[in-house]
Amino acid sequence: MTNFPPSLTILASMDGVRPVFMIVMGLFLLVVAWRVAEKASRWTARILIAGALLLGLGYSVILPLYEAGVLHSPRPDDSPDTVAWLLGWKAVKQVALNFGWMLFGFGICLHARVFSSLFHPNKVPQPYPPRECTPRLKC
Amino acid sequence: MHASFEMLITGGLPLDMLGLFGLALVAVAAIRLSSRHRSWGGNTMAIGATMLFLARLWMILSPRVMTMDLEHALGPVFISLTIGLPPLFLSFGVAAVVLGFWSHERWLREVHN
Repeated sequence: MTNFPPSLTILASMDGVRPVFMIVMGLFLLVVAWRVAEKASRWTARILIAGALLLGLGYSVILPLYEAGVLHSPRPDDSPDTVAWLLGWKAVKQVALNFGWMLFGFGICLHARVFSSLFHPNKVPQPYPPRECTPRLKC
Repeated sequence: MHASFEMLITGGLPLDMLGLFGLALVAVAAIRLSSRHRSWGGNTMAIGATMLFLARLWMILSPRVMTMDLEHALGPVFISLTIGLPPLFLSFGVAAVVLGFWSHERWLREVHN
């Protein structure tokens, strides 16, 4: 695996692009979640950011390591130390991705006020104010 | 090995279900956003979350469901699809969720600034 500099065919292949794609997606999700959380209420912002941080860790650190072959599922000829290391990373991956999606989904639900009819059953959810003319939004 | 750690490694089904539940929540919230704000970001997010949900569901189910008989019944084309589609769905699902979330955020800024 030590072919440096990598040839163009490897860089252009699906296997070469996937880790980069994962890293970009994780970081971009984090940035967008940050920008949404700026305008959200307190707990919505906390839950959204927690989920996005976990997803960012999973997608931009752990999954590229798996794609690169640094981490893999344990093989029979691995030493016990290596197996413990790999199992630990597998646990981190499971927790980061699953809890990440869980918290992120819950945060978006709070942001979209999906549960407001459960907490305030008699209150009709207020729509956002109608579009107004702004310098950025021509109308 | 500690019991809880062993459960995390070998029997990760509750954890996987938690992730699936979170993806379903993302889809529900995205549909809610698209219906309330009429923004295409919500639609894209809903499609992406559904793709991720289907791919994850298949990856969790396939070791428990796929038997030799079922493979014979499905035939080569469907077997190829079950091998080829989940990674595609995982990649495009993440991309669609992130793109939709970004466009929704842009939309929020344009309306509320």
